[in-house]
Amino acid sequence: MRNFFARRDSYDDLDDSELVALAKADNQAFGELYSRYLKKIYSYVYRRTGNTHDAEDLTAKVFMRALAHIGAYEDRGLPFQAWLYRIAHNIVANWRRDQSKHKIIALDDYVARSLQSEAPERLAQESEETTQLMAAVRRLPEDRQQLLLLKFIEQMPNAEIGAIMGRTEGAVKSLYHRTLLALRDDLRLLSDSASERYIDGTKV
Amino acid sequence: MSSQTELNAQDALDAITRNLQAGDDVDNLLTQTDAASTDAGELADIIRRLHAVLTPAEPSRDFADELRADLLDDEQGMVLRVRQMPARVHVAAILALIAGCLLFIMRRLFGSDAPQEIQEEAVATPL
Repeated sequence: MRNFFARRDSYDDLDDSELVALAKADNQAFGELYSRYLKKIYSYVYRRTGNTHDAEDLTAKVFMRALAHIGAYEDRGLPFQAWLYRIAHNIVANWRRDQSKHKIIALDDYVARSLQSEAPERLAQESEETTQLMAAVRRLPEDRQQLLLLKFIEQMPNAEIGAIMGRTEGAVKSLYHRTLLALRDDLRLLSDSASERYIDGTKV
Repeated sequence: MSSQTELNAQDALDAITRNLQAGDDVDNLLTQTDAASTDAGELADIIRRLHAVLTPAEPSRDFADELRADLLDDEQGMVLRVRQMPARVHVAAILALIAGCLLFIMRRLFGSDAPQEIQEEAVATPL
């Protein structure tokens, strides 16, 4: 039964675990969790999907699923956000499996950023480099993409990333190293193929 | 690459990333790193580019407000919670509903007559 008497005017002073306990019966408490994590989850999903439409659709699914399952949530010492990120990761993974054609990159924010810039030629080059880098990131295996997003967008420490990904801190460091090496190799290949020019059908 | 060298490279790249995110000097760290064996310079450049590109994205205000309204709507929340209950709970609820419907129908059809018929049968039956 819904505990209406437990509702409060403000949830600001509660930590996540207290909020989760309340949210099992009180939607307003869940609303506070939503406020705390919407931007993080949206950012994560947006960078994984590459477009606003899918990011909004999947972000909504993440919170709907979280709301539906919060009654069964058990505090096992991991941060609440680790649970949310796992839901987001699973939903994005399912979405990617369902996609017959993979979209490569979200252009909208890059275009917006470009418009603010001064030198068009430099911007075009920067935009191309950015596009190549993001395309290379999206070619990485799922777990490596997840690692980069948690590390750069969320700026999480390795221990927290490990909690979300189910790895030790050392394993996260190692995976990060291998991810950077893979990105470097991928970008080198792109750079090499871009430097090959054809004149009248002849490679020069 | 030996395992110790690899561990050093991992630590160096991790430190470079943290310093970059904290807005601290990275070049100083790079000079302390054995760039030849770890490719630290090249990888640090990739880290810089990732740091510049992988920035948080903001959801639109309209989307955030609409989703909040959907989530906090009591009926919607209740529907979601019920929908996500375990299958055995759904089966039990459906069976209970069917049993209730059957009971209701039987009472409507035979409710007033059934006891009388039983009594009449009892009377008519020779002992």
